[in-house]
Amino acid sequence: MGQTITIQPVTRIEGHAKIQIHLDDNGNVADTAVNVVELRGFERFCIGRPVEELPRIVCRICGVCPWAHHLAAAKACDAVFGVDIPPAAKKIRELAYMAHTMHSHILHFFILSGPDFVMGPDADYSVRNVVGIVGKVPDIAKKVVRVRHLAQMMSQVLGGKAIHPDAAVPGGWSKPVNKDEVGKLKGMAQECMDFASFAMDFAKKDIFPAYLDTVKTLGVINTGFLGTVDGNGAMNLYDGNLRLMSPDGKFEDFPVANYTDHIAEHVEAWSYLKFPYAKKWGPFSMDLDKPSGIYRTNALARVNVVDKIATPKAQAELEEFRKAFGRPAQQTLLYHWARLIETVYAGERAMELLEDSEITSRDVRKKVEPRAGRGVGSVEAPRGTLIHDYETDANGMVTNVNIIVGTTHNNAPINMSVKRAAKDLIKNGKYDEKILNMVEMMIRAHDPCLSCATHALDGRVAVSVDIIDSAGRKVATLAN
Amino acid sequence: MGEMSGDFVPECFRKDVLVLGCGNVLFGDDGFGPAVIERLRSDGRLPADACAMDAGTGVREILFDLVLGGPRPRKIVIVDGVDAGRKPGEVFRIAAGELPANKLDDFSLHQMPTSNLLKELEEHCGVSVVIVAGQVERIPEEVSMGLSPAMAGSVPEACEIVVREASGGLEE
Repeated sequence: MGQTITIQPVTRIEGHAKIQIHLDDNGNVADTAVNVVELRGFERFCIGRPVEELPRIVCRICGVCPWAHHLAAAKACDAVFGVDIPPAAKKIRELAYMAHTMHSHILHFFILSGPDFVMGPDADYSVRNVVGIVGKVPDIAKKVVRVRHLAQMMSQVLGGKAIHPDAAVPGGWSKPVNKDEVGKLKGMAQECMDFASFAMDFAKKDIFPAYLDTVKTLGVINTGFLGTVDGNGAMNLYDGNLRLMSPDGKFEDFPVANYTDHIAEHVEAWSYLKFPYAKKWGPFSMDLDKPSGIYRTNALARVNVVDKIATPKAQAELEEFRKAFGRPAQQTLLYHWARLIETVYAGERAMELLEDSEITSRDVRKKVEPRAGRGVGSVEAPRGTLIHDYETDANGMVTNVNIIVGTTHNNAPINMSVKRAAKDLIKNGKYDEKILNMVEMMIRAHDPCLSCATHALDGRVAVSVDIIDSAGRKVATLAN
Repeated sequence: MGEMSGDFVPECFRKDVLVLGCGNVLFGDDGFGPAVIERLRSDGRLPADACAMDAGTGVREILFDLVLGGPRPRKIVIVDGVDAGRKPGEVFRIAAGELPANKLDDFSLHQMPTSNLLKELEEHCGVSVVIVAGQVERIPEEVSMGLSPAMAGSVPEACEIVVREASGGLEE
């Protein structure tokens, strides 16, 4: 009888997901499904509200990515109102966003995915977590928490508060930044940037080498990539055009307002979450041997799509990365490497913005008037390209909302990565906790934010495996 | 995060008691924790060496930082809406040490926040952890703001318990 193994919940990611691994009668993987919970009804909830409320409301969508939603919403509002915000406001928003990016990426690398690499994927579950990190590398743990406090402080200096931000407003930013604040921020940004460089060096020297074989082989799939580039084809996490790159490296740039010309959504009966795909590449297919229309977002995608990074240290890291892995790099576990390159970039970019005297201009906001319109705003959230698309009536009330989060873009590739890893690792019905954790690592590499409705995350690997035969009967349950 | 000290540690981490309201206000009774925090802050009854924070769905961020190191409060009080099969609106207190090991596997979308992180704070970091829980009537599957009447009516009682916890009462 074929069997279904269920891993639920997937640990150390934001939200709730269920993996089902369906074995055939020989105990080999026949199929897999990663079923995720999403934030349902949010778009409908927004209809009828004043559009200028949305940058404040959307912060509640996610406790880990509030800044991404806040800024994407503000940009969508700017577009709805038809304003080009003052340069100082743009720079302040980007600076706040660089602080958030560092705060988020450091959390992910050292705490969410770190235990797999620092402790090892076959380490006992009781230490493969943040307490294990503190025990094994206590000095690094102290640095991590200090830098996170610094990054939070930067957000607070710029915007008044870090949790549930509300400083970005339609038309710009709610308050200018003065020279004293810039002075304080420079010290904080410098320390964050130094730690980002340290983290990059530490990972390349002490972590990645031991796992290079795994990186090169585990869960490798062949997809395109979606990211944002500035006018020179360089990395920019706050603003620019979208770039959709096919698996062979060819790409097309387009303004985010035109995203529906390039991205369509496929629906599977077994998943609440839709499957965006590149409609110009052909019909949607998650077939591992002949995928079609599939693209990924998030750090690896961004590092692949950019021609260059305009800050020197991050550019050097990008060159080293490309020399080792090519362009585009397909190996799923390289997300972790790419995430650190972005952390270095965010630190350097923060320093650049702070050196720009225009950032202390008092002109930070343009007046806006309600009107009927449509506006699309996007940022590169830590978890992928985040798109907010709003329509309003003549009174400025929301008539339609569409939000595509980074994790939704990655829904198909996450499923494919899990299937690839499961097929490679589970043979003849044999599996153990290490193998199951490695399958979960495929999901964690994408750093998904699966349901922002939840704040319940079990810190340990709570692997509960239901063995279900092909008739749907549960024949055994394994749990640690 | 509130005020920061010179070494950039949030001031609330240096308080004797840190009260964290957890939950998503977009999902009905899941907003119980933030609602209690809002009332505590407006009432002003918390002692001076206690701090109340609406952590929303970002409580993990705060707990991770506390586990990683640095100054920590002596006690953390978590306020959260949970489904424990009790009468809707009932407010009850749970000590982190009372969470049975097998219960951890059951914790799902709308139950205790990061239960293992809380246990780790208590067992490895010496922080006393108490959960002030409100039994939800229902947590909607789609976005829908506002507490149920039962839970809205329980906010004052939850505040009372939190103030007593923060003032040194109700110790085990």
